[in-house]
Amino acid sequence: MKDLALSVKNISKYFHEPKTFQVLKNISFDVKKGEFLSLIGKSGSGKSTLLYVLSTMDTDFTGDLYLNGVNLVGKSQNELAAFRNENIGFVFQFHYLLPEFSAIDNIMLPALKLGKKSKEEIRAKALDNLSLLGIKDHAEKLVSKLSGGEQQRVAIARALINEPAIIMCDEPTGNLDSKNTDIVFDIFRKLCHENGQTIIAVTHDDDFAANSDRIIELQDGVLLKNEY
Amino acid sequence: MVSKTNLKIALAHLTSRKKQVIVAILSVTFGVSMYIFMNGFMGGVNKSQTEMSFSALAHIRVYNDVDTEIPNLIQDSETKLVHVRNAKAIQYTEGIKNAEEIVKKLKTNKQLSAITSQINISGTFQSGSTKLSGIISGIDVENEDKMFQMKQYVKYGNWDNLNYSNNNIILGTGLAKKLSLKLNDNITVITTDNIIKNYKIVCLVETGSPNVDDSKGFIKKSSAIQLLSKNRSYATDIQINIPDYNKATEVASTIRAGIPYKVESWQESSSQLVAANSLRKLIAIAVSLTIIIVAGFGIYNIMNMTVNEKIKEIAILKALGFDGNDVVQIFLTQAIIIGFIGGFTGVALGFGIASIVSMIPFEVGNMDTLPMVFNKLDYLIAFVAGILITIIAGYLPSKKASKVDPVEIIRG
Repeated sequence: MKDLALSVKNISKYFHEPKTFQVLKNISFDVKKGEFLSLIGKSGSGKSTLLYVLSTMDTDFTGDLYLNGVNLVGKSQNELAAFRNENIGFVFQFHYLLPEFSAIDNIMLPALKLGKKSKEEIRAKALDNLSLLGIKDHAEKLVSKLSGGEQQRVAIARALINEPAIIMCDEPTGNLDSKNTDIVFDIFRKLCHENGQTIIAVTHDDDFAANSDRIIELQDGVLLKNEY
Repeated sequence: MVSKTNLKIALAHLTSRKKQVIVAILSVTFGVSMYIFMNGFMGGVNKSQTEMSFSALAHIRVYNDVDTEIPNLIQDSETKLVHVRNAKAIQYTEGIKNAEEIVKKLKTNKQLSAITSQINISGTFQSGSTKLSGIISGIDVENEDKMFQMKQYVKYGNWDNLNYSNNNIILGTGLAKKLSLKLNDNITVITTDNIIKNYKIVCLVETGSPNVDDSKGFIKKSSAIQLLSKNRSYATDIQINIPDYNKATEVASTIRAGIPYKVESWQESSSQLVAANSLRKLIAIAVSLTIIIVAGFGIYNIMNMTVNEKIKEIAILKALGFDGNDVVQIFLTQAIIIGFIGGFTGVALGFGIASIVSMIPFEVGNMDTLPMVFNKLDYLIAFVAGILITIIAGYLPSKKASKVDPVEIIRG
């Protein structure tokens, strides 16, 4: 239990619109710390739904969810928000950055919210992340002026700012060309193997999945494959 | 308190859609300035109305009221009107016998700014075959001017000329016109006791109040005493002015104790004036508050649009760990900023409009320009009301924003 980043026990979830439909059926699995896990499956298999359940944003499910050993079932929305802030980083298919802010401001936002470090420390850390991702030159640019690949890397830098135990990605390379996909993939590997951070990525990209440590495949809400 | 991060996001939202924000600010500005202008104007109208009445009305009046406490000697007076009186008693029950003593006593009171005694007699003004009934007022020439600023109403002649002779009289212009009289003409005055006397018109006044202009003649007090054959200290009314006429009722009750006559404030004697003033004030407040509330609807609308526009960003912020309170803060801060800027500009604009309007010429009655008051309390109320409405209008959309489900938005 101690070296588990995430533990899922008997998770089921229903959609009630337009008619009642069980999208996740009794799913259970564990994820170790430092693992790079891909979540695959066809459209409608429930993989994205599972990711949002794991992310703590979707609380409408039955079963138990442990992140870093903490049971998150039954916590209030505000408690979950604070937990996400500190322990989970998000990378979405579309970058989802705040367009009014520069790259560095976007990256600093979750850390400023967490409020555990001074503004200067956060800034230094944000610049480190940017240089790690090779886009330090764009720090002061408005994110709307950056290319798609650059924006995605800013989003990754933002996900990393609070050094979260778990990074969750929804199609992180879905909008990127092969060159940028390789860059993002290399960064993820590095994070897992050098920093010991856990990555859970929903992906359609078979090459991306094949190169990760472990693949979980869902089909019609059932765990079909769970292999290393 | 608003966290710096939330404030920064709020400011970014505001600056990213300047046009909408300016419209929102302008609606607050308009509401607040209209509140100030309307209340200032109504206050001004009330003030000028009241002051116009004070050309003939003192703030406090002391007179000998008919004493209803004395029982009638004949009780079965339901079918007949019975008036039992003693000829000697008239001397003591009509008017104030020892007016000078009372005036002297009142003069020691620091709360009072002007005191004058009058002898008001009803009578008839006659010129040729025209007869008009009216009031002959025996006055203390200097104090009467001090009290009612009579000199500023002088149309022809000179107010002080009244002092030179017991045969001089000052008439209202309306009365003089009806009697076809002009300056230096002679007029006959007949009292109710049928005493007839001729006077020479030395001055004509126009106060704007028909009570004075159309039916009043002023003579020297000593001349009035002569007409009535009274003692030197006699008067029918003692008129008192105080620095702030709004406090007349309070002051009247404090001086009532030492005076054995009726002491009546202007609010008590002319309640229709007080009623008209409060109704006007009420209308002004109702209309201007409505304008501010309408501005509130505008802000509600704009804030709602912003929330809808920024719904994706709200979802991202929530995913990043911002909670519902942060979201409320972010949007409420925007509303408060709009409210404060609108409030300040509204107060400035309101003052500007009021100042300009107060300079527009309007020569009716005793007014030269449109009336206007600058009451600090009105400005404060307008500012606070503006901000309060903005906060309420901003709170509802921000509550809605705080309830946004990030999963729904991010998954599309």
